Amino acid sequence: MLEVRNLQVSYGAIEAVRDVSLSARSGHITALIGANGAGKSSLMRAISGVTPATSGQILVNGRDITRLKPHERARVGVAHAMEGRRILHQHTVEENLVTAWHFRKPPGSFKQALEKVYSNFPVLAERRRAKAGTLSGGQQQMLILSMATQHEPPVVLLDEPSLGLAPIIVTQIFEYIKAYSAEGNRVVLLSEQMATLALKVADYGYVLKHGQVVFDGDRKQLNDGVADLSSAYLGTTG
Amino acid sequence: MKSMLNKLQGVISNAYVLIVLMLAMAVAAPFSDAGTVQMWCFAAINVLLAQSVNLLTGIAGQISLGHAGFFAIGAYTSAIAMTNWGVPLPLAVAFSSLMGTAVGYLLSIPAGRVREFYLAMMSLAFGLIVYELLREWRGVTGGVMGMRGIPSAQIGTLELFGIELGTVEYFWGLLFAVLVVMWMLRNFVKSHFGRAFYAVHVSELSAGSLGISQGATKRFAYALSGCIAGLAGGFYAFLVGYLTPESFTMMRSVEILVMTIVGGLGSLVGPVLGAVLFTYLPQKLQAFNDYQYIVYGLVLLLTFTLLPKGLAGLFNVHTRFSKRDQLKLTTDANAALTMRTPAFDPLLRVEDVVMEFSGLRALAGVSLELRRGSVMALVGPNGSGKSTLVNVISGIYAPTHGKIYFQGRNISGLPSHVIAQAGVSRTFQDPRNVPAFTVRENVLMGANRLYRHNALSAAVNAKWAKVEESRELARVEALLGAAGLSDSGDKVIGDLPYGTQRLAEVARALASDPELLLLDEPAAGLSEAEAEQLVGLIRLAQRHGVAVIVIDHHMDFLAGLVDEVVVFEAGEEIYRGDMDGMRTDPAVIEAYLGAEETENA
Amino acid sequence: MDFFIQMLASGLSVGAVYALVGLGLNLTFWTTRVLNFGQGAVLMVGAMVTAVLIASGTHVIFAVAVALLTAAFILILIEALAVRPLAKATGSMGWIVSTLGAGILLQGLASWRFGTQAVAFPDVLFSSADTVQFLGAYISVQYIAVFVISVLIVVLMELFLRRSTWGYAVRAVAHDNEFAALLGIPVRRVVLASFMVSGLLAGVAGILVSQVSGTVDPGFGMHLLILAFVATVVGGMGSAFGSLVGGLLLGVLEKLVGGYWSPAAAEIVAFILLVGVLTIRPQGLFGKPEAVKV
Repeated sequence: MLEVRNLQVSYGAIEAVRDVSLSARSGHITALIGANGAGKSSLMRAISGVTPATSGQILVNGRDITRLKPHERARVGVAHAMEGRRILHQHTVEENLVTAWHFRKPPGSFKQALEKVYSNFPVLAERRRAKAGTLSGGQQQMLILSMATQHEPPVVLLDEPSLGLAPIIVTQIFEYIKAYSAEGNRVVLLSEQMATLALKVADYGYVLKHGQVVFDGDRKQLNDGVADLSSAYLGTTG
Repeated sequence: MKSMLNKLQGVISNAYVLIVLMLAMAVAAPFSDAGTVQMWCFAAINVLLAQSVNLLTGIAGQISLGHAGFFAIGAYTSAIAMTNWGVPLPLAVAFSSLMGTAVGYLLSIPAGRVREFYLAMMSLAFGLIVYELLREWRGVTGGVMGMRGIPSAQIGTLELFGIELGTVEYFWGLLFAVLVVMWMLRNFVKSHFGRAFYAVHVSELSAGSLGISQGATKRFAYALSGCIAGLAGGFYAFLVGYLTPESFTMMRSVEILVMTIVGGLGSLVGPVLGAVLFTYLPQKLQAFNDYQYIVYGLVLLLTFTLLPKGLAGLFNVHTRFSKRDQLKLTTDANAALTMRTPAFDPLLRVEDVVMEFSGLRALAGVSLELRRGSVMALVGPNGSGKSTLVNVISGIYAPTHGKIYFQGRNISGLPSHVIAQAGVSRTFQDPRNVPAFTVRENVLMGANRLYRHNALSAAVNAKWAKVEESRELARVEALLGAAGLSDSGDKVIGDLPYGTQRLAEVARALASDPELLLLDEPAAGLSEAEAEQLVGLIRLAQRHGVAVIVIDHHMDFLAGLVDEVVVFEAGEEIYRGDMDGMRTDPAVIEAYLGAEETENA
Repeated sequence: MDFFIQMLASGLSVGAVYALVGLGLNLTFWTTRVLNFGQGAVLMVGAMVTAVLIASGTHVIFAVAVALLTAAFILILIEALAVRPLAKATGSMGWIVSTLGAGILLQGLASWRFGTQAVAFPDVLFSSADTVQFLGAYISVQYIAVFVISVLIVVLMELFLRRSTWGYAVRAVAHDNEFAALLGIPVRRVVLASFMVSGLLAGVAGILVSQVSGTVDPGFGMHLLILAFVATVVGGMGSAFGSLVGGLLLGVLEKLVGGYWSPAAAEIVAFILLVGVLTIRPQGLFGKPEAVKV
């Protein structure tokens, strides 16, 4: 269970996240939905600690992680795949996976984790010696996803994983995320600009606008409220 | 303590006090002992050197760790001119500054291509090359033995038109030169040239969007800086009468830099204080001489952390970058913008523009037309190509394919400052103001392309220069009024709230009296009231026939404002029409929310 | 021919040291995007401490160890005083000036403590009289030792960076420190370690270069810094292998021009090379151009 309480994030004079509270349940996928600049990425960055929150609290399974440094949060099990397909371009696929494993100090064997990654995404096994920068967009996203999940962290934050990918790859990736969350009773927080796409996989969703939660509900409630969603993006008619 | 500082500030920043002080020194010189007057001479030379570094590093932002090179070139040039060719004193000194100018200009060509630490390293290397040349080019410079027997004021061998010049007479001449240089520098820095220097310093990207050529500006800064340092060198040669390469080592460059940084980069008064301080300390304190490197090292190591604005910052002395305090302004609030007559032909025509970044297609064949006085909105999800289009139109990127016609002229691929000069003005997603400037100075910077007077007119405050500066200041006043910023005109923009900075940036874009205004997310982070002001500014532009393209995500903000909205997705236009049509358009809804049918997939 | 081979040998050994210095510069540049303008003075301190300790009767190994630890400690201080406080400020002017200041301060302290005169550097590796014959030319064993040690260190560092997990971590921090932290890499510790190792490298390089030149004085660092920077720029800022090639090229060029023409001309050639490479190919011979994003 991931809980965020009254979180505030500012960049200088700009308030990116204003007093957001949410909870994401284990075994479920929770979506953050909203237009550009609604505060989705800032919220995630505050949860993983890349941007320190100005005020508020973040709890993972009841433990307060607000004061931890980002690499310490990574070690207690918060994995964050940032927007813009961030990856170690000059490292090979396997070096990326080793680096993502080793410093989080997870229990278990890397060898087994690696085998699992390669059986989930065989194309990564084929390209294990290739520099990550030379992979296609879809392959990079698979690698990023594997780097975020191979050590089986309890909380995974995925910032717009579908951006710029072909529909078939998006489907494959979402299938993987669904299975990951369900299989180990883990928290997945997913941000999406494409609301219907997010609602395809998410069990619950929060709609953000101008850094605030304007609407939240389960899949059905969100689907019923698509008109409201539309106005969150496109403004009120008339 | 505080009130003492304030009093000191009043005294230091007052130009008359400085002049009176200098006159007093001039009068006192004949009654002082030779050693004192000589020290004053060194101080005067150091003031010139510090101003030279300040102009290049403090104002134009080009770091120099090799300024002793210019100084040496000036000194040897005048020494050689007089001893070998018999050139009289004033000509020899003029020759020095000319040589400094030429070398500065030449150095600016490679230096203009690099920045940051590459530039620092290159300037360091320049200083060392000059030093090595002085040592090795024995036939001209006398090698490590140096040049002896140069006519010198100190030993009474210097003469001008047959009259012998002593240290006192020499000091008078030097003082006069310093006064003239300082006066011209002050006028220059407060002109659109000074503002252009600062613009390049803070953001080359933003300078280009103001119609300022960064290449030309840097070359000019190097040439001028070389000119002043060369002049200082020329005076130095006839003061000491003896030149060796050891006077022009890297430590001399460091010394000049220390003076400028301690005095305060970017201020005109600061370097004077720094130069005087570091001329006196070594003379008066024997201990200082013993630990000179240690002191300089500590100063450089700590100044930026402890006293980033130097002594000038400590005394709260700020150099202002407009001639507002020198001019009598017409209170008549002239029209801020020229009224343009509507025309049938489109002002802007974008034809099938494609933009690729290493294989990635950001724009896949975009075409659009825009008339005078119309407002067009560009919207679309993240990465759909809106900002790229604005960057292509304003010349930050050259399109991979396609043409852009502005007023019938093909501008695709022209450098950004040329496009800005033609009347295309823009703002950026993150405000790119000069943080140390006041709101007024920032807005005035926008008017840069409208100035016609040359650097010399600016430096001597010719009538032409004053007329133009008054005219633009009056326009800026009107724009500040329109933006609701009249009360913040004299406040330093870096200290103001984000919304104010954004509004000032839009006002700055309008100060160029543009034909076409491009606004990239101008409403992001604005309060309701500020957004109202922004709408007012855009309407003002529209009324005067300016064509406006605005990117924004706030649909409610755009709704009442735009004539036409174009929606992009993945670098392609998917909708064009009015706002209401957009809200119900299936393609647009799909682009934002995802396809409906995927629900069953 | 003999002369040519001798010049070549001394060029290669000096060039390898440039590469070593360049590697030290690069290491901290990768992790913090800061180029240490005080690195030259750290070389000097390493050599100076060694020379003075040996002259006072300390055992060579102990003297070298103290010198290297001093150099590493100085780099940690530079990080704390000159780099970290200014890393957040916009632009590079702050840290250029502060690291340069650190170097000048070290130079000042060395002059105050040891005097400004050049100090003879003792034989740490073999004796300056030892030579081997190669193609009829006598080559100093010291040159060979310096060359071998420098190349070995550069190669080992390259192997460490390419093959070990901590090497991956250094490269990850260099590429994207935010992302690195999300992978659980203790970025702060990696940065400190990079400064410490950079100090060790500078200490070794200082001792090696003084072994070749025979003397050390408080002012000798600045030229070395520039030459190592030239080597790094020629090879490309991002690559240890590039620095090695750049260093060797520069060293050989310098010694040949110096031998056949004049030593001052050699320096001027190096500076012209710097200006030329920066003007024509700023990313160096082996570097990739950095993409400029608005």
